[in-house]
Order: sequence, then structure tokens, then C-alpha cells
Amino acid sequence: MTIDRISLRPTRRAFMGGMGAAASTALFAPAIAQSRQLTIISNRGNADQRKAVENIAADFGKAAGVSVTVNNMDHEAHKTAIRNYLVASPPDICFWFSGQRMRSFVEKNLFEDISDLIAKENWAGPMGTSIGAVTVNGKQYGLPTGGILWGLFYRQDTFDQFGLKAPETFEDFFTLAAQSKKAGLTPMSIGTKDMWTAGGWFDHMNLRINGLDHHMDLMAGKIKYTDASLKEVFDLWERLVKADFFSANHTSYAWDPAAAAVVQKKAAMIDLGNFIKYAFPADDLAQVRFKPFPSIRPGVAQYEDFSVDSIHIPSGARNKEAAKEFLAYFYKPENLGAYLAPEGNMPARSDCPVGNDPILKMAAESMKTIKGTAQYFDRDTDPDLAQAGMKGFQEFMVRPERREQILGQIERTRARIYG
Amino acid sequence: MTIWWRRHRNWLTPALLLAPGLFLFLVVIIWSSLETFWISFFDWDGMGVKTWVGLANYRELLDDPQFYVSLKNNLIWLLMFLLAPPAGLAIAFLVNQKIAGMRVMKSLFFMPLVLATVTVGVIFTWFYDPTFGLLALLFRAFGAEAPALLSNEHLVTFAVVASALWPQIAFCMVLFLAGLNNLDEELIGAGRVDGARGLAMLWHVVLPQLTQVAFIAVAITIVGALRSFDAISVMTAGGPFGSSTTLAYQMYEQSLFSYRFGYGAAIATILFLIMAVFIAWYLRGLIRAEKGA
Amino acid sequence: MYPRAIPENRPLSRFAYGLLVALVLALWLLPLFAVIMTSFRSFDDVMAGNYWGWPSKIQVFENYAAVFQQSKMLDYFLNSLIITIPSTIAVLVLSTMTGFVLSRYPFPGAMVIFALFVGGNFLPQQIMMIPIRDLMVATGLYDTFWALILFHVAFQTGFATLFMRNFIAALPSELFQAARAEGASPWQTLIHIVAPLVRPALAALAILVFTFIWNDYFWAVVLTQSDAVKPVTAGLSNLRGEWVSQWNIVSAATILVAVPPVLMFFLMQKHFISGLTMGAVKG
Repeated sequence: MTIDRISLRPTRRAFMGGMGAAASTALFAPAIAQSRQLTIISNRGNADQRKAVENIAADFGKAAGVSVTVNNMDHEAHKTAIRNYLVASPPDICFWFSGQRMRSFVEKNLFEDISDLIAKENWAGPMGTSIGAVTVNGKQYGLPTGGILWGLFYRQDTFDQFGLKAPETFEDFFTLAAQSKKAGLTPMSIGTKDMWTAGGWFDHMNLRINGLDHHMDLMAGKIKYTDASLKEVFDLWERLVKADFFSANHTSYAWDPAAAAVVQKKAAMIDLGNFIKYAFPADDLAQVRFKPFPSIRPGVAQYEDFSVDSIHIPSGARNKEAAKEFLAYFYKPENLGAYLAPEGNMPARSDCPVGNDPILKMAAESMKTIKGTAQYFDRDTDPDLAQAGMKGFQEFMVRPERREQILGQIERTRARIYG
Repeated sequence: MTIWWRRHRNWLTPALLLAPGLFLFLVVIIWSSLETFWISFFDWDGMGVKTWVGLANYRELLDDPQFYVSLKNNLIWLLMFLLAPPAGLAIAFLVNQKIAGMRVMKSLFFMPLVLATVTVGVIFTWFYDPTFGLLALLFRAFGAEAPALLSNEHLVTFAVVASALWPQIAFCMVLFLAGLNNLDEELIGAGRVDGARGLAMLWHVVLPQLTQVAFIAVAITIVGALRSFDAISVMTAGGPFGSSTTLAYQMYEQSLFSYRFGYGAAIATILFLIMAVFIAWYLRGLIRAEKGA
Repeated sequence: MYPRAIPENRPLSRFAYGLLVALVLALWLLPLFAVIMTSFRSFDDVMAGNYWGWPSKIQVFENYAAVFQQSKMLDYFLNSLIITIPSTIAVLVLSTMTGFVLSRYPFPGAMVIFALFVGGNFLPQQIMMIPIRDLMVATGLYDTFWALILFHVAFQTGFATLFMRNFIAALPSELFQAARAEGASPWQTLIHIVAPLVRPALAALAILVFTFIWNDYFWAVVLTQSDAVKPVTAGLSNLRGEWVSQWNIVSAATILVAVPPVLMFFLMQKHFISGLTMGAVKG
């Protein structure tokens, strides 16, 4: 049997009309309440921090007579989702990252200018330098919440046991390497499976050798990756690789097994942020010590990676007034402190209590001597270039002999993006 | 009306039966796929302005060393993945008995397909971990040092495929179980009367009846091999330094991490062209098999 | 039945065979045991790399309870059912119809249409992200159950059509000739001949489609943002943090999330009985 003629030309409009009508059935449409509303999308992965957000939201809702909905997404998925929801159906409040990652949304007019709120609340003072992280062309597009300070971590008891000393200069790294190996330890634990750790190591080397301005120019694509100024960075890095300074098979590990090596006294040090506390059993936390990355080129001031998270009002938000009221409430020192405490990040407000997290106290102490901050390799540069760069650095740490080819590949990506 | 319907129902009914499914598929899937093809001619970050670049994405792709790494790995995936249909068939044979407890055991054989890919990926990563991994512990028990499979640019893809095979075999098992239950008992009975046993029975009586299912299993396995990205994403993120990417992963990385939707779409288009070869081969085989039957 | 059934009157062989299968199963499920063991571990064990040794502290209840305490898992479960069940049914109905037509009515272009169904299946889904999102926004379905249902039904219909078409094509053509000789309409043929015979295929398909839709996370991220419509996979991912993932609790959630599809498999097995006997033709 054959069918002679089948006409199957769909009209898209008719289809959509039909489905649109179906969608309006109450059960399948998002709830629409009557009073003032506020929708928050949070990306917090820490259970206690999620609870803190919900508590702050609930308290605010009660005080301001607003019905608040908090939707939580996991941190990684949120990076994809935000690019969808900011365009498709923005909430009233969302969490994100300051610096370059914020700027790319500001340039697309996706975040609301909240300079007036900051002026009205007089936040410029307590925010201090962190206001720069949320400023584009003199206007503020978000509030910096808290940040991660990066540096070297070690166990005091390991160091005592084997007579190790925290490195002050680059050459001390080699002393550390020799002594650690004699003691049967890995000098510097690192897990580059997720690649960003290699980006961080590059940041620290370049900030110590070429300083902040050069680094930010590089991040902004103004300097070639084949530029002579980077030669020393890779020369020194190569010496470390060849001295077996880093963990063997580091591409097999994420940061947590790498940190476990330090906790279990199999490695001397690790380059990480304050979230290293998760790797330590509570009893061992007292042994943890923080040490800024050693200085390399004399005369270069201390610049560090300090990654600052932030909170924003999307420009497509439907309840901007309520959103601003919420920000004013959220940013009170006690609320911001309650929000940051579970994850243990450095508050971006100077008048916000640090709490009694020992790692955070050391980081706060260290912050006082810092002359300027970058955010982190994958937060400071174009995402496309960040991906290419971190991949290249990872390869360099395994195959330093491929340096020319690796830098050529990163440079090709840079040239494609920035010209 | 009824007379009209009666006269035409022999072609109208099939047309009406086909319409809803086809319509939905055309509007949602085919339309989006065509749009993807269109996007491959643009430079686009997924949010801002699209810039027409013509064939530049394709030219760049052909110059991209990563593209050839992905191609090579796709081939490894394809060849290793083809172990899944025979393995799935073997398990289907094994469990196709009516014995107490068999239903539960069958359900458990199916488990790998159900477990969240992330978790399976993490467990296999732990298996391969050179310090804490089961493999390392086993090697150490014999006084040897385990190879760091996920750090080895030549072996990493094999290690990842091994973990992805696990659910794929379960998938094929379900397909073959359905096929085995559709066997023509009379033919098998006749075969037994004729003295066909074991392999001869399998080869001459059973397998010919499973051709249609085998076709599905092979097609789905090929699709799976070419489309795979989540196991890679969890276990290696394409590393070390890009040595375990496949085309699908590269597309995923370019679109979702590097925000290059045009370039990602170009990779998808190339991937589709490769698949089109399989589709053509597949349909040809299907038509032939049906004519022969 | 193939392989030949082990006769009822040989209980010893049956027992031995059962034992053999159980042994193979134990090997097969080694990774699953690792997931289960992980779901009993403490977070400290996971961070310390104690992946394979005996847990230093067994905390079954804590971990499984944490799944429900740390995310709105019950709501997500319900959402998943609301999305998955109607989608699966719709896919089964649509694909039985398309498969029937494409296998039994060889009109010109049938192969082209079939090729479209197969081909559309071959593309990596991620690349359709933005067109699909735009479609759902334009239709006002974004962030509703409908968005996910519509997408899943459309996408799975491709695979399911491939599956059903081949199964229906494998049915003996005498059946259809007989039906036509008796003057059965296409609709009657579908209902009275095809539907009963493809029951095992539909059961298998139901299991697979249910599982695929149930396990989807990518489209939930793309097409929804409210917790009120998110499926259970989102709940599972919510347990993962920016820096630290509590793999012990994620493992517990993985086991819980896997229960409905496995249950579905178990229940569907009774339909795995061949509908294809000569009786069907004569009757």
C-alpha cells in the first residue's frame, strides 16, 4: 500500500499558538502571587550558606512585606544558566563574580547600575578598594560580597618535623625542594586536572616578576604571550618543573587530593585559596599556616590574586525597587557576615567581622600588606583565552620542552580575540 | 462524510498517524538543528551581536590541531564502543531464563544506565587515581607502581571509554532482552527438531531474527560514541592538555566554556557530516536487510 | 525461548545457574558497590582520599538524611515524575504511530522522513541549546514543565521512532496481509494487531525513554530556573559546591535518584513476554 500525497508542512505559528494556550493552565505555569515579590537566584553550593541566604531572604521578606522566592542552582550549572536566564527571564537578584566576568554582562546591558544605592547607603567607605571590582566607567553594577585570597599553605607540624622553612625568595623554593625530597615529601602539591591551579601558579609568578600593571595588560589582551617580558616567568617555572618541584602525575588530581597530600604529610606545601580548610579535619586546622607566594624580582611590590564574588540586580528585573531594598538589607555588616561565615571567604566590607576562622584570620592579616590585587587567571581574562591559557600552562608543567609551541597556540587565541 | 472517509482512510489514517510525531520533531529538533547550521557561519558568544564570518569557523577548525586530536579519539571511542552490542547480547543471553530471582537480577544489570553520569565518572576517576585509587592499591599490593592512566596522553582515552562502556553495555542489554522476547518460538522449535544446537542455532536461527534489534543497538552505540562528552567532562575535562577530547566534547567546551557558539556549531556540523555517512550506511543496510527478509 | 530454558525439574541446575548469574552480577556491579560504600562514608574520608578502604566512620543515616535536608529533594522528585511520566507516554504513543506508518506504508519519501528521525538523533544536543531556549521563550513555555516535556517528547520521538519502526518491520508480513484480506482499516490494524504484538518492545522502550528523561540535567539547566519546576537531577547537583563536592552525599542521592527507573525496569519486565505466537494470527 502506498500513500500518494501527504501534506506535512507545519506552520510554526499555529503550533506555538496552540502550545501557548496549553501553557496557561495554572498547574504548569509559574506561580503568580498578588503582593510585592522578589525572586533570587543563588549559586551557593555550601549547604550552610544556602541556609544563610534563605534566612536573610525570609527575614527581609517579613520586614519589608515582600514574598521572596530563592531558587538555588549548583555553581557550575549556574555559569551556563545565567547566560540563558539573564536574556530569557531575569530574576530580581542574582549572584555572580566581580571584575571581568561582571564587565562582560555590563557591556551587554544585562546588569543594573546601582551607583545611586551605593551613594545613598554611603558604602564607598566600608567597601574600600573592593569597590573597584564592581565599577565600570565610574558606575557600580553590583556589590562585592567576599573574596578568596590565594597563597601558599603548609602544616606547621610537618615543617617542624622535617626542619623545613617557608620560602621567602624564589631560590628558597629549591632549598625547600631538596629538603622535602630528603624527607620523602613532595615539595609543592598541585592538582592540575581542572587546569585552573596552573593558571593560578602563572598569575603568582607573573605578578612577582612583572607586577600588576603588566599582568592586567596581559589579561586584557594587550601583551602577546610570546612577548619577551614573559620569558623569565617560563624560564623560572621550567626550572621548578625540571627540579621535580611539583606533584608527580599532577594532571590526574583535582585540588582536593592534592590538598590531602599536604594534610597527610606527604607533601610540604600547596598553592591554594582559603577554602583549603575543607580538606583539613577539624583537629588539624590549628596546624595550618598561610604564607604569601615568595618574592622573585626585587623591587616588585606585593600583588596578589584576590577573587571577589558579587551580587547583582539584572537590568531586566521586574521588581527593582524591592531588589534594591533587599541589597540594602543583605549588605548590612551582620547579614553579610552571616552569609560569608559558612564558606569562610574574606568579607569585602572592612567593617564586617571576620569571625574566628583561623585561616581567614591569617589571610586578613596578610591583606594589610598587599599593594594591589588581580582576581584570578580565569576571572581576569576572556573566557576563551582563559581556557586556552590554562590548558597550555597545564601542558607546560608536564612538557616544558614544548614551550614555544604552547605559547604560540595561546598567542594565536589571544590574537584572534584581541587582534 | 463517512463514504469519503472510507474511500480515503487507507492513506489518510497513516498520514494522520504520522503527522503529530513528525510535526513535533520537525519543529523542535530539525528546526533547531538547521538554526545551528546557520549559526556556524557567525562569530557569536551566545548573547551579543552575531557577526557574519562566512566559512572562517570551518577554516579555523581545519587548522586547529585540537580538531585532529578529537577525530583520532572519536575513532578510538567508536572502535571500543562497538564492544557494547556483543557484550550486551551476551548478558541478555545470560539472564534470559525464568529462574527465581532473575527479575531482580535483570533489573540490577540495568543499574549502570540509571546512575548519574557524574557519580559514575567520579567513581572511575577514583579507581584510576594514582595515589588513592583502587588500581594503585592493587599494583602496590604486588610491589609495583600503577600507571597514571588519566595523566597519560596516549592511554587516557582508553581509560575514559572503559568507564563509558559500562552503561552502554547495559543499554544494549535492554535492547537485546526485548529482541529475545520477540523471537519466533516456532522457528526455534523447528531448529531444535532439525538438531540445531548451541552456536549453530545462534548463528542460523537466533541472530537472523535479532537483526533489527542489532541494527538499533549498533546505531545507538555509534551515536553514543560520537556524541559522548559527559564522561570526558567529569573524568578529565578533555585533559591532560586536550589529549582526551572528542568532537562532541570540543564542541561543548567551545560553546559552554569559551562561549564560541559559532565555532561550536561548526564542529557540530562537521560531526553531523561524519554521522551522515553512518546514517547513509545504516539506512542502506536496513533497506537491504528488509528486502532480503 | 533462547537460550534453551533450564527445565523446571532440575532444581540443582537452576540453582547453580542462578548462582553463576549472581556472581557475574557481583562483578558487573563493582562500581555500584563503590558508589554505595561512598554513600556510607564521612566527608573527611572522601577528602582524605579514603575511596576504597573501609569507612573510618559509617554514617548511613546521616548521609541519606542530608540529601533531603540539604536540598528540596522531595519537591524535585515530584517535579521529575510530572515531567517524565507524561513525556514517556507521549513518546510511546507518537512513536508507535510513526513507526507503524514508516514500516508498513512505504510511500515515496518514507525513507527520507525516517532518515530525518534518525539523523536528528545523531546531533549532540548541547548545540541546540540556544535555538531551543529561544523557541521556549517565544512560546512562553520557558521555566515551565511544558518546556521540558515538549523538548523531551520531541527529541525522544526520534530515537523511539527508529526503535518502533524496526520492531514493527520485524513482524511477519503475513499478519498484515491477513488483516487486509479481512478488510481491516489501518487504524484497526494498528490497534488490534500491532499494539498487542509490540508490547515487549514498548516495555523496553518505556524503560529507556523514562531513564533518559529522568536522568536529564542539561535541559533542566537551560530551560528552567525555578525550583518549583526543576527535576531531581538538579537536586543532586545542588549538593555540589563551588570548591567542594560532598561526594558521600552526592552518592547517596545518586542511589535514591536511581530507584524509580530501576523500579520501572522491574515492573515492566512482566510485559517482556513475547506477544508473537501463531495464536495471534489465527485469533
